[in-house]
Amino acid sequence: MDIKYKVNRLVTTNDIRPMVDKHWADLRTAKERGEKVAWASGPTFIIPYAMGMKSHFMAGYAAYCGGIGAADEVLKVAEATGELSESCSYHRLHMGMAEAIKQGIEINPAAILPMPDLMVSGRLCPEMSHYAEGLYRRMNVPVVTVELPIAYAKEDVPRVKAFVYRQFKEVIIPAFEKVCGKPFDYDHLSEILTVLKKAATIRNQCWEFFKDKPSRWTLWDYGVSIAPVFYLMGKPESITYYEKLLKELQERRAKNIPAIAPDGEKYRLYWDGWIPWAFLGKFMRKLIPNGAVCICGRYPWEFFMHPERLDPEHPLESFVDAFWGEDSPRCFSNKAPKGSLELISDLIEEYSLDGMIMFSSKSCRLWNLSQPDMMDVLYKRHGVPGVVIEADMVDASMISDSQIDTRLEALFETIDGIRRR
Amino acid sequence: MERVLSKITEVTSDPYAYVTGLKERTGKKVIGCFPMYVPEEIVHAADLIPVVIWRGNESVTWGHAHVPPYDCGITRSFVDDAVRGKLNFMDGMVFHVRQCLQVGEFPLIIERNVKPAYQKVLYLPPIYEGEAVRSFLLDDLESFKTSLEDFTGKKISDDSLKKSIEIYNENRSLLERVYEIRREKPGILRAREVMQTVWSSMLMLKEDHNELLKELIKDMEGKTVESKGERVKVIPVGCLCQTLQFDILDMIEDLGMIITDDDLYVGSRYFANKANLNGSPIEALADRYLTKTPLCPTKGVWDIHWGDEAIKKMRDNNAKGIISIRVKYCPPHTCYYPDFKSKMVEEGVPEVMIEMEHEIMSLEGIKTRLQSFAETIGGV
Repeated sequence: MDIKYKVNRLVTTNDIRPMVDKHWADLRTAKERGEKVAWASGPTFIIPYAMGMKSHFMAGYAAYCGGIGAADEVLKVAEATGELSESCSYHRLHMGMAEAIKQGIEINPAAILPMPDLMVSGRLCPEMSHYAEGLYRRMNVPVVTVELPIAYAKEDVPRVKAFVYRQFKEVIIPAFEKVCGKPFDYDHLSEILTVLKKAATIRNQCWEFFKDKPSRWTLWDYGVSIAPVFYLMGKPESITYYEKLLKELQERRAKNIPAIAPDGEKYRLYWDGWIPWAFLGKFMRKLIPNGAVCICGRYPWEFFMHPERLDPEHPLESFVDAFWGEDSPRCFSNKAPKGSLELISDLIEEYSLDGMIMFSSKSCRLWNLSQPDMMDVLYKRHGVPGVVIEADMVDASMISDSQIDTRLEALFETIDGIRRR
Repeated sequence: MERVLSKITEVTSDPYAYVTGLKERTGKKVIGCFPMYVPEEIVHAADLIPVVIWRGNESVTWGHAHVPPYDCGITRSFVDDAVRGKLNFMDGMVFHVRQCLQVGEFPLIIERNVKPAYQKVLYLPPIYEGEAVRSFLLDDLESFKTSLEDFTGKKISDDSLKKSIEIYNENRSLLERVYEIRREKPGILRAREVMQTVWSSMLMLKEDHNELLKELIKDMEGKTVESKGERVKVIPVGCLCQTLQFDILDMIEDLGMIITDDDLYVGSRYFANKANLNGSPIEALADRYLTKTPLCPTKGVWDIHWGDEAIKKMRDNNAKGIISIRVKYCPPHTCYYPDFKSKMVEEGVPEVMIEMEHEIMSLEGIKTRLQSFAETIGGV
């Protein structure tokens, strides 16, 4: 008889939405309280945080729009005002929001942000420069620009790290000192890192529960829990959140409660690429009835996977080091294809995975080009098959239900076939 | 002129055969430099043959297993050529991985499927404020130089690099002169011939190309062009990284418009700006790279608007309109284009955008758009 799989929802993840809502609401109302506002791409938002400013975070805004169901209408404004649908959907969301403000087009008020006193264009990917340039040209917002490359080879790590550090020190920090009219607050930066370090350390303990068979939680549970170790960093609630989550996972283990009822997953999967923020429910409804659970991925693993590297005594140095330092192929350089292979290999082994879903974003060309080759390498190395699913993080016009169904079916059949050998 | 043009056509109609032949003839190794900003002079100074990687001459076949259909034409075509072994004559390849996300994904595919003896990643930062950018760029160029020295086992002296820069600068001057004559004598060369002339520079030894250009310039200077009535001048803009389909260039001219200048990569952008030979040659190459114009959406220039630059070029040429050539799935151009278009509207400049793909395009659709554009600006 077919097993009826069902998600055992975590209670703790219900706490996320209020935290995230509060973050964006505080940002929206910051100017009313006379506070300064920043917009940022890449992990540069930590600098305005240290100065006591409220800050937007580019990908976080996109995820938030996706999560609250505002993406469609904002993307429509973007297209109606000239954006081309091939461009990054995160870029389009920001252009749509800017045009909505500029032209007084009504959209979900939660998607409207105050114009920044300073925008940091942290060029982690080239699109992050394009979005910031577009906003600068249209809204004439003050901007500070920094290049944040990914090291492709171990021997390049020291100079890439030194370059990034110099730009934080010599470009971003002075720009915020000027805007705020006060010296940079290294003490507050240390406080943020202290909280972040603790939250990320507990988060790593939570990751251990993905290793359980059956797994105690799903990648989607973790996906919605990323904010406390990223753009909600430094808030004491982020520690409380992860403590509560850890406790719930411990209880699950003690009572042998799996992530999906009745007895846990049939397929343990790796998820490559971005999290499909606007379509988490859709994917859940396709995965869970088949007994499939996504366990881990290189993107969700990039957020301070080595919290021990964060040193509040040397806050800026260690913050940069955590992203761009030695061993960073396990952290930030996991974006460079070759470094990622080793990370994914480790994940496959550590988390006993059966298959891979390579989420190929049609509007973001980071990762999608090398995914077929990576899949091939990993299959040969581990005997773990994969499929590519072509979609988008937030743009509903780029998602095809039937394609997802067909590809998932093929993946499950392949895994079954391998198991029968 | 026919002799030179026939040589240029020979080079560009089958670059694979030409570069293979060049390698055999010279006994030198070939290094493929992925467009647009790899400093070829350093490769040249290492006594290697730098060639700019091109969009291929066939539809994508095996490449489909490696690259999704929503990547740009040169990306798909290059990967296809690479995995089919069509680029095996290249001894090395260089990628500027920070130019766009697609280039950033090449190294793994190439390492697995082509395994060139030499492969190098360059970071070449965008032109942002701060001394750190220039310093990182200089490190990057030094690292490139060192890696080539390790590959060849020979040091690259400042003198040899200066000599290479001199040869490249001469090529730039000569190409500028070709463009100047075209502006003076519109129609002296078909637009496709001009593009082929620039493209051949990317494929030939620069010394050989310089000789070819000298002959071409002499022929062009001596030739008079019969006026075929007042044809309306237009400026094509864009088409980053790759050659434009020649059919589109022909179509523009056949519809009664005439191209007297361009803002295309395989065009004026390739030879713009010379490297200053006073001082350190590596610094000269860095400064050339850090020059903000011609504005490129991959280089993070904030204080100059591409639209203003294009309008200036149009007005300098007394042209009546701009034809944007946007390669499909080119994020830098795609993200910039809405602001470019707004600037055209704001300034009342007639502009039309043509999308270009590597493979089949509806030429009929493009023709209709160009025809109505020509009518709008008074060309027909």
